[in-house]
Amino acid sequence: MAEVTLAGISKTFGQTGAVDNVSLTIRDGEFVVLLGPTGAGKTTTLRLIAGLEAPDAGRITIAGRDVAGAAPATRDVAFVFQQYSLYPHLTVYENLAFPLRSPARRLHDAEIDARVREVAKMVRIDHKLQNRSTRLSGGEMQRVAIGRALVRKPAIYLMDEPLSSLDAKLRAELRLELKRIQNELGATLLYVTHDQVEAMTMADRIGILAEGKLVQIGSPREIYSNPANLHVAARLGQPHINLLPQGLLPGCNAPAGTKTIGARTEHLEISASTPGNAEIDWIEHLGDQNHLHIKVGEHKLVTLADPYLAIQRGDRIDLKLRNPLYFDAGGQRLT
Amino acid sequence: MINSDTTILEKSAKHAATSTPVSLARRIGGLSDRAIAWLFITPTIALLLAINIFPLIWAIRLSFTNYRANRPNAVLENVGLQNYHRVLTDSDIWIAMQTTAHFVFWTILLQTLIGFSLAYLIDRKFRGHAFWTTVILIPMMLSPAVVGNFWRFLYQPQIGLFNYIVSYVTGVPPSSFEMLGSVSLAPWSIIIVDTWMWTPYVMLICLAGLRSIPDYIYEAAEVDRASAWRQFWSITIPMALPFIMLAVLFRGIENFKMFDMVMLLTGGGPGSTTEVASITLKREAFESWRTGRASAFAIILFVAVFGLANIYVKALNKVKQR
Ligand SMILES: Nc1ncnc2c1ncn2[C@@H]1O[C@H](COP(=O)(O)OP(=O)(O)OP(=O)(O)O)[C@@H](O)[C@H]1O
Ligand SMILES: [Mg+2]
Repeated sequence: MAEVTLAGISKTFGQTGAVDNVSLTIRDGEFVVLLGPTGAGKTTTLRLIAGLEAPDAGRITIAGRDVAGAAPATRDVAFVFQQYSLYPHLTVYENLAFPLRSPARRLHDAEIDARVREVAKMVRIDHKLQNRSTRLSGGEMQRVAIGRALVRKPAIYLMDEPLSSLDAKLRAELRLELKRIQNELGATLLYVTHDQVEAMTMADRIGILAEGKLVQIGSPREIYSNPANLHVAARLGQPHINLLPQGLLPGCNAPAGTKTIGARTEHLEISASTPGNAEIDWIEHLGDQNHLHIKVGEHKLVTLADPYLAIQRGDRIDLKLRNPLYFDAGGQRLT
Repeated sequence: MINSDTTILEKSAKHAATSTPVSLARRIGGLSDRAIAWLFITPTIALLLAINIFPLIWAIRLSFTNYRANRPNAVLENVGLQNYHRVLTDSDIWIAMQTTAHFVFWTILLQTLIGFSLAYLIDRKFRGHAFWTTVILIPMMLSPAVVGNFWRFLYQPQIGLFNYIVSYVTGVPPSSFEMLGSVSLAPWSIIIVDTWMWTPYVMLICLAGLRSIPDYIYEAAEVDRASAWRQFWSITIPMALPFIMLAVLFRGIENFKMFDMVMLLTGGGPGSTTEVASITLKREAFESWRTGRASAFAIILFVAVFGLANIYVKALNKVKQR
């Protein structure tokens, strides 16, 4: 395991800038998650580190070694591809064993076998070892792809949305499993996703990518409670942060220049009262909690509520802000 | 929909009365899907029966008789399996079969090796690869008659370019050897021409195979530290194998009945060194006029090719299913 640094990395494809001046250090043994919408340049960043693309500008070092111009094979990275990239003519077992069979590694068959079976169990694919890799469901293929990376002990694991096609239950299980494995191995891991739950639960640090730029990087807590701008704030929180014009709701002491107020559930105080300043427009029952859709004049808000809260559609309520987030006209955070 | 045939007929009759394009469409719509399907394939089936199946059955029948096409009015006599017995015990025919096998083996081997290598090079996508693909394909687009005559010139001992080049490279005088006239060289002269003409075809199929391997498989292998050599043997070859096998099948069937090139280049000679099965068959049928026996030979060839191709296709399917 090793430290990986990117310094001022840029990459354009023709007219589209995929990655724009990204600098990032992934410390030895750290789990970094890159979070961003589709097309943000997440995959491109991983491919640049793996050496599958060459950067237009900037420097990449792995374990202190500048890898400019080094072939992927010599960079000692393991990659879980977004589109699985299994070897279609090989069985699951052979797919998992493939990276270990590299002559550079000189492993004995018994060692390979033990490692393959161990990893297959980790990613819950041990019952399908003899299947052709094309005869698997999407989720099973994805698990094999993760397994094929985990059989190795590289300088860094690069994982591109490895859990995206699993069902919610398995995803939650493998999320924990992956975090556990990473802890155990002390692995350096760069993980790409657009699922904020994965980012929040697994990451030591989250990097927010938008249009090729690394907008903010920090611990999940930091990113959540101290977003640098509107974009970052909008990426995290379920339901989405409510963006309101300054002055719509009482209870804030906005700094000068505030244009927009960001209010998540924890920033809103609800009390039943008539006439009140807001009205319950709709209630979504999710089981363990409810989504309240609230109307304040022209504006609509969504917030979470306890399912036992005695409130009904059409009820009038009093809505107050408590320490919300303030943004200026350019979307930058004000404190 | 529950429509008896009579109501359909009534309906179509009614529609026919008010004959507009719309009514025609409705009338076809009134037929069941099955009926429409039959309507479309009947001409094809009729044609197939007339020009493929019927002659085949006729030949099977003739193969049990002493029929001679140059004496169509002679009395037909059933001779049972005698024709088959004669064919299978005729040493000339066995020699022709061996000659054919020899041709098939060497042409397939050379064409597959060279064709695949060319495809592998072209697939590197260097500058101008599209142009070179087209250039390589030219021999395949020529007519065999043109190719045959053209190579007869090239093989001329005195003025032929082939002999000239060989002599330039090896130093032997150009007129000291005769590709088409010598017993040892004549088979190779045909193998060379067939390879020259049909390697592009094999290359094209192999190229389709190589292009069907997605880039990301190679990227994964690259990251997994597989050397170029290992990528070639554990990814390129297995994944292109169904295509290579298909090319071998096509060329094999084609060369089993190789006729035109041999006829144009050597006519089966010198002696009978290049007399492949199809030439023997033609001699039997149209020079000796033993139509019955020729039919028996043709049926045997047909069964042999059909059987081999079947076994081969099974193997191919197995490879594809992996
Ligand atoms: N090979 C390529 N050729 C041209 N443009 C590319 C190429 N690869 C990526 N791009 C462009 O670069 C930008 C970033 O792509 P990238 O694949 O890194 O996005 P991403 O963040 O991984 O998105 P997703 O979440 O959909 O996977 C996109 O606008 C994409 O169109
Ligand atoms: Mg991507």
